[in-house]
Amino acid sequence: MHSEDPQRGNEMPLAGCRVIEHSRTVAAAYAGRLLAAMGATVVMLEPPAGSPLRMAPPLIDGTRHSALFASIAAGKRSLMCDLSSPTGRQAFEHELERADILIDDTPVSDQAARGLDREVIAKRFPQLVHVCVRPFGASGPKAGWDGEEVNLLHAGGEGFLLPNGLCYELFPDRPPLKIYGHFSEYQGGAMAAFAALAAWWAAPEDGGQYVDVSVQDAVLAVGAFALQRFGDGSLEHRKTRHFRYGGVFEARGGFVELLTLEDRQWSALLELLDHPAWAQDEMLNDPLERSRRGGEMNRHIRKWMIAHDVDDIVRKAQRLGVPAAKYRTPAEVTRGEHERARGLFAPLRLDEHTEAAALVAPFQFYASPLRAAGRVPDLGEMTHETAS
Amino acid sequence: MSPPKAPLKGVRIADFTIHAAGPFGTQLLSQLGAECIKIESKARPDAFRKPHAVYGRMSAATFDQVSVNKLSVRLNLKQPEAIALAKRLVSISDVAAESFRAGVMKRLGLGFDELREVKPDIVLLSLSSCGQSGPDSHFAGYAPLFGAWGGLGWMTGYSDGPPVEMRHVMDHSAGIHAAVAIMAALHQRRRTGKAQHVDVAAREVASAMIGDALILASLGLTPARPGNSHLSMAPHGVYPTRQPDRWLTLAVRNDAEWGALARELDQPAAASDPRYATGAARLRHREELDVLLAQWLAGLEADATAERLQRAGVCAHVSWSMQDIARDPHLRERGATTEVSAPGIPPRLAVGAPARFSKTSEVGIRRLTPTLGEDEEYVFGELLGLSTAQRADLERREVIA
Repeated sequence: MHSEDPQRGNEMPLAGCRVIEHSRTVAAAYAGRLLAAMGATVVMLEPPAGSPLRMAPPLIDGTRHSALFASIAAGKRSLMCDLSSPTGRQAFEHELERADILIDDTPVSDQAARGLDREVIAKRFPQLVHVCVRPFGASGPKAGWDGEEVNLLHAGGEGFLLPNGLCYELFPDRPPLKIYGHFSEYQGGAMAAFAALAAWWAAPEDGGQYVDVSVQDAVLAVGAFALQRFGDGSLEHRKTRHFRYGGVFEARGGFVELLTLEDRQWSALLELLDHPAWAQDEMLNDPLERSRRGGEMNRHIRKWMIAHDVDDIVRKAQRLGVPAAKYRTPAEVTRGEHERARGLFAPLRLDEHTEAAALVAPFQFYASPLRAAGRVPDLGEMTHETAS
Repeated sequence: MSPPKAPLKGVRIADFTIHAAGPFGTQLLSQLGAECIKIESKARPDAFRKPHAVYGRMSAATFDQVSVNKLSVRLNLKQPEAIALAKRLVSISDVAAESFRAGVMKRLGLGFDELREVKPDIVLLSLSSCGQSGPDSHFAGYAPLFGAWGGLGWMTGYSDGPPVEMRHVMDHSAGIHAAVAIMAALHQRRRTGKAQHVDVAAREVASAMIGDALILASLGLTPARPGNSHLSMAPHGVYPTRQPDRWLTLAVRNDAEWGALARELDQPAAASDPRYATGAARLRHREELDVLLAQWLAGLEADATAERLQRAGVCAHVSWSMQDIARDPHLRERGATTEVSAPGIPPRLAVGAPARFSKTSEVGIRRLTPTLGEDEEYVFGELLGLSTAQRADLERREVIA
């Protein structure tokens, strides 16, 4: 059961954990990605034509590679295994015999035909943690519903609340706006990884079990504060969901996010703004009064911001203790000094001609640092290994 | 109280986390059965016990999602004896979690090395805006800043607009990733018997949400900000319907779904129109399709249309407000939402267990927001063995305060 990944040794947190991933969605693939990043051996089962995620946009210009797939498949292994054929299902069962965790996103109605029926699997593999991650979960009246990212972000309540602040002010009549990429599915995937590891934790005492994870549930969970506000009597809306003052400001050369919650941060903000005349009003020493007059204050702050250089603003702000950050482009993130110092990125080989840099993992383990696998698996690489 | 039949029963957390991100992470573990002891003080109570004026909340919250299931004790960490008690709590815990600015725990005498001395196999989670190392590690930050630093804010927005501010979802997604990492560290401890220090930087979680764009950027390419459109699906987006501010989200993945959509919306001419016959053709006419969809949906009721389209195999869902979420039977049946109430807390909905487990099924909310110091008899008395007199003395000297 506890076979090590010879390429990465047995020092990683999840060394010895063997995961079978059968995924078509970003959610299931991201769950596998997180586990792989922490040292689990994650075997991705792919149909002969390859995972549809291999062709998912955005594609890298001039290559056959999907940047999305590269980002979520790094560090995994690939085994060609066609679950619609009896031989494929046989190979699948062989894999499950030595697996700790199965992550699957097959629609519930198709599971039995593909050898993924939960009862059958539970009987054959009583120690296996079988995680099903679906857009709306595997149970409940909408378990049969399907959804892509745009649907799920809105089904979980966050989509309705975006954009807020400056973007809403500029475009009040446009439809709500989704978060870039696959935010909801990443939440669902992270929740699936968490639930998988929790169930695996219980396995020595309770054996394997079936775990039902829903992307919609995960979006709601990360948006829990809006439900809490609803319980307090406030129905949030993107039009009004902005901080009373602070938010997004256009500066010279970029955009700044500014948010002061504490009195000392407010004092520091005044210093940043060179103690402007409008802020001399003693009434503004009261945080509740500041909250009431937020719109007026923001107008003053906007005028100041646009006249100053974005990098100067954030440098001075952080020195003074004002929470402020630049809206950084992806290029700025990949080149970031902080990111470099923390080893956030590592080379990722896409093919013999192409090497990108990819995020290693959104967490660090100091007692046994994570080591990036550095490669995206070729389709069916394990099948070829077995054959040769 | 017998422990629940939950996956993490028997796991104990000494929880020093504050604000939203860290507490959300430990709350997830507590929903799966972990015993979570929240350490606060009268001088520095958790944010939910105070007004939140910038957010427009002028008094303390009566219910706090990220505190559910948690036990509350007071410790005035400015006092050496309180630090000693904190260490004793850690010594009987599996996990210690904190979300102060980098360096604060060390200054308090509760750094990883100190905690490992009292508990050789402790799992310490440090969750912060920028992490425990690197030139920005001392930076202060809240959720909207995480999205700005991490690149997600820049990538989100209309192509002709400013970047977009991310809100609490940034805190809570950092919290989920922290929970994942804690679980991995616990498994590692089970295997090796060794301690682990996990460092989660919320801005890096935001960066993980744009992993594809970062790969493009690393190759010198400039990733596009697509707004509501999709690079391989059309129609795709958020469309107005007959009711004001009642939007329908749609994602058409292939020709069959396009045919089904056109049929369901009674547009036979569009279904056979060669301009829209293939995915590539629809992408070329994406803007035209968006206009058509808005016209077709203008007379339709959003909810009924979403149900009809789902039956026909088209990915559709109404853009839901929290009111819709609150009355949804699907979420309720799954336990994703659950009604809670307690003395002083009128019935309301809260977010329940993050997953359903076939065997260890007693997951979810067991109790609500604790009052400050509510569980000291159990924690200080029963777990640490302090007598009533000892506790009274510590209170008098403001160690427990």
